[in-house]
Amino acid sequence: MRIPKQQIVFRKNVLALSVLLCFNAAAYAEDDVEALTKPESSIGLGAGVSSGSSQTRSIFDQYNGLRKNSTNLLLDASVIKLQEETGLWTRLEGRNLGLDNREASFSQNKQGDWKYAFEYNEINHQEIRTINTGLQGAGTTTPVVNRVALGKGADLNLQLQRKAASVSAEKWINSSLLFEASFKDEEKKGARMSGTGIYCSSITGLSRYTCSNNASLSGALFLLPEPVDNHIKQLEAKLNFTGDNFLLTGGYYGSMFNNSNRMMQAGITGGLYGTDGITLISNASVLSYLTSPVALAPDNQAHQYYVSGNYAFNTTTRTTFKYAHTHATQDQDYSSFGVAGNLGGVVDTTLAQLGLTARPVDKLNVVANVRYEDKNDKTPEVAYNRLSNGTTAYSSNYSNSATKLNGKLEGSYQLPDHFRGTLGIDYATVERAVPPSVASLAAQDLTLALGGLREKTRETSYRAELQRGLSETLNGSASLVHSRRSGDQWTLYNATGTLPQLMLDRTRDKARLAADWSPTSELSIQFNVEDGKDSFDTPQGGGMRDAKMNSFGVDAALIVSDNLKLTGYLNRSEQKLNVNNTNVYLTEIKNTNISVSVGAVGKVAGNIDVGGNVTYLEDNNRYTQSTLNGSSIVGAQLPEVTYRTTTLKLYGKYALQKTADIRVDLVHQNASLNEWTWGSNGTPFNYSDNTTVTVRPNQSMSFLGASYVYKFR
Amino acid sequence: MKFIRQVMMLFAFFCGLCGLSTSQAVEEAGTTAKVANRDTVCTKCHDESEARPILSLYQTKHGVRADSRAPNCQSCHGESDKHLHGDPNVKGRASPDVIFGSKKGTYQPSEPQQQNAACYACHQKDAKRSHWEGSTHQNRNVSCTSCHDIHNGGHDKVRERQTQPDVCFTCHKEQRAQINKPSHHPISEGKMSCSDCHNPHGSVGPKLMKRDNVNDTCYTCHMEKRGPFVHNHQPVDDDCTNCHNPHGTVAENMLKMRAPFLCNSCHTTPHGPGQPALANGSSGAVSPMAGSAITQGRACANCHTQIHGSNNPSTAPANSQFFFR
Repeated sequence: MRIPKQQIVFRKNVLALSVLLCFNAAAYAEDDVEALTKPESSIGLGAGVSSGSSQTRSIFDQYNGLRKNSTNLLLDASVIKLQEETGLWTRLEGRNLGLDNREASFSQNKQGDWKYAFEYNEINHQEIRTINTGLQGAGTTTPVVNRVALGKGADLNLQLQRKAASVSAEKWINSSLLFEASFKDEEKKGARMSGTGIYCSSITGLSRYTCSNNASLSGALFLLPEPVDNHIKQLEAKLNFTGDNFLLTGGYYGSMFNNSNRMMQAGITGGLYGTDGITLISNASVLSYLTSPVALAPDNQAHQYYVSGNYAFNTTTRTTFKYAHTHATQDQDYSSFGVAGNLGGVVDTTLAQLGLTARPVDKLNVVANVRYEDKNDKTPEVAYNRLSNGTTAYSSNYSNSATKLNGKLEGSYQLPDHFRGTLGIDYATVERAVPPSVASLAAQDLTLALGGLREKTRETSYRAELQRGLSETLNGSASLVHSRRSGDQWTLYNATGTLPQLMLDRTRDKARLAADWSPTSELSIQFNVEDGKDSFDTPQGGGMRDAKMNSFGVDAALIVSDNLKLTGYLNRSEQKLNVNNTNVYLTEIKNTNISVSVGAVGKVAGNIDVGGNVTYLEDNNRYTQSTLNGSSIVGAQLPEVTYRTTTLKLYGKYALQKTADIRVDLVHQNASLNEWTWGSNGTPFNYSDNTTVTVRPNQSMSFLGASYVYKFR
Repeated sequence: MKFIRQVMMLFAFFCGLCGLSTSQAVEEAGTTAKVANRDTVCTKCHDESEARPILSLYQTKHGVRADSRAPNCQSCHGESDKHLHGDPNVKGRASPDVIFGSKKGTYQPSEPQQQNAACYACHQKDAKRSHWEGSTHQNRNVSCTSCHDIHNGGHDKVRERQTQPDVCFTCHKEQRAQINKPSHHPISEGKMSCSDCHNPHGSVGPKLMKRDNVNDTCYTCHMEKRGPFVHNHQPVDDDCTNCHNPHGTVAENMLKMRAPFLCNSCHTTPHGPGQPALANGSSGAVSPMAGSAITQGRACANCHTQIHGSNNPSTAPANSQFFFR
């Protein structure tokens, strides 16, 4: 090969080679090449120690599988083998094998021919709060409420555990045809917060109960953990056919939900108490209500058939498409409630999408997309919950059909002076099935629980963006979005004042500036600023009034040397919402979020890698209430809710030899959660049986883990 | 074999001393025969001595020669004649035809479309990428190597669940803060990743949802919310993100706002003259219709407990349509 003069460069690696030569360089080179070209396997074994108790680290521990024990086995494995002659990959991987969120997989893949894989994965969610209760049988379908003195119950920590097993396979039938199939079964067990409650009063037109023995007593509330024991199964099979200029996929996706628990029915022992936790309620109807069954999620299933893919008309014009039909049913029998039959729920959904990208002239890119989704609720409408009070019948079972149409058109043009301009328009409509109005139903009020509905809403958004490569090292962009949502006349039903936010008239404006600056090859900095505003218009002036947001962020990365890299970021965002309860109060909800982080990774010596970062997060929420006429609200303002964490993460890896490392991880976190959800200023929120919920507001924990990692090829 | 390599290394050393280009000198010395047989045109220079060795590609599927579809260097980087043979108009060595990445290194990166075309030439056969064209990422000039690290010995951060979010947060900074709030999906714990819900290569759904819409994506794990129920809650059926922020919140259950304020954004006049207040006395008696019982604990859900929908058809007691039970 002829080497041009300008390419005859004296390279450093020749020097390195000459030095290596003195140390049996070829042998090292062979090792180096093997290290670079053969997949690495590793097995790590060690132990991790957490400080404090499960309650003092509940925020940190909610998902990481470290909650139950202070000392845990750390066991990870990744064995990867490649048979080069045949292209057969064999992988055996395990992670967190000693923890409550373990996962493992085994797969074999003859590249370009076939593949199969088995996977097992656990996710264990531990509730960060502790319940103190006298409840018996918590987390079962038949809990028994048992009032205790405040704070004298037993501590209860809820958890939800998911165990998922899946198998997947694929086979290239020929170079154009690929068959893929997968099946996943996920079991979910445990309990989560739920409950029942009743308001005692008498309101005309509604069915209410009177706590007749005490006029000031207004009801009863219970915290009853919902028992969870269900399976989610998902099966997908598809055939992909590819040609020179197209991809066509046809497939089936089935998803099935099976719940072992039909309903939860509480019992009450020792009498029914009011919300003060002191006064007995003697009304048998109230007792009957609170001990009646609560419906748990019914079995349901859906089957989808689809074709999708793309087609290239030529090198500059392509189209994408999908057509899918889904048949979903829910026919769980009502026997748990002493009623014959079932809902007979059927929902058929048709989806069609067509997209087009084109470059009609050299500097112009055009994108167009249309998406149509029609959900046809074929569930029979039946008058449920019919009351025998002689005047009114009730039913909230009505069609949930909806048709959504979305369209997009966007053009992007390369302008002079390195400018690139983009203009876009988005259009969205939603058409909903709206039941007949109350007036037309006369005495047969079939829509008591319905509020306002809009048969059709439409939204149009306009976008403009200007990008410029300001220099070889600086790129910037500015974008504006304006959108307007409106709709048909509202149909108002009995639950007046219920005006779904997603149907309100809304005007939205957003602006964004971003810059990416790399003054040197070692330093890069990103800036972004965003500002937005939503204005809502409702027929009665209630609900959402307006919302504002702004954010600022800067990220930086600096390569100090081959052995030291630094990163950092600062972000601040603010969101303000005005929510109007038209009867009483207006609330301004203001959320401020600040996050700051600095990190470094580096090499201290030839065989020691270190790294770490410290991150601070602060999230503050203010709820400022005022009355609509400007007078003072009754009582005090709600306190702020603030969440803060400071987290330090450090790791070090010491290479004992080429085939073994010692890895040490240290995490220290200070967290504070100052909230009033479950108590404020020393006063707990207590349920009628004096059940209370607490979380340690200030938590500080450390975790230290050390592992021996053996590596091989 | 070892001896031959040692001889070749020695040859390389002397060639270097003689001022010859190492592109010739280390042709055999720096690479094993196995590697040399594959991409010798490139690996005779780009050998194991590189600061960021490209030979680690052979630890990945791209480097498996038993798979006839696997590329060689020039499949992706182009024939690169000027890089190999010189360009009299360029000082120093000319750039290969296609340079991947988004930041300038030795050479200026190629246009994203050109980079992606190299990848897409093979990966267009993957159904997961069928809707790349016209997707948000494609429109925003995101190139494959903006996220993927092809040469990193199989340790492509974006393909590993534990490290993938760091790659996504390079652009999606708002979500970086949200996943560290107390109510979140187990993303920071490495048990979920962005691609469990999103398909960054394009999809039919909004926000690059993995399934055809937001709810169908959520149902893959939360299928108990799918129904249909005897009593449906319309915004639940419309879009889970009407009420939830799946990336994380301070309010429990990843609710966008605490009840009753979240509920008030649609239900503008519930419960008559009740005002949110706390149990420490600001509103007087605890009442399920006002004060602390609509503010604290599970707030509105203290009574409206089946807020995602109730399948209770019972005739007595009534009022299941209000999601009481």
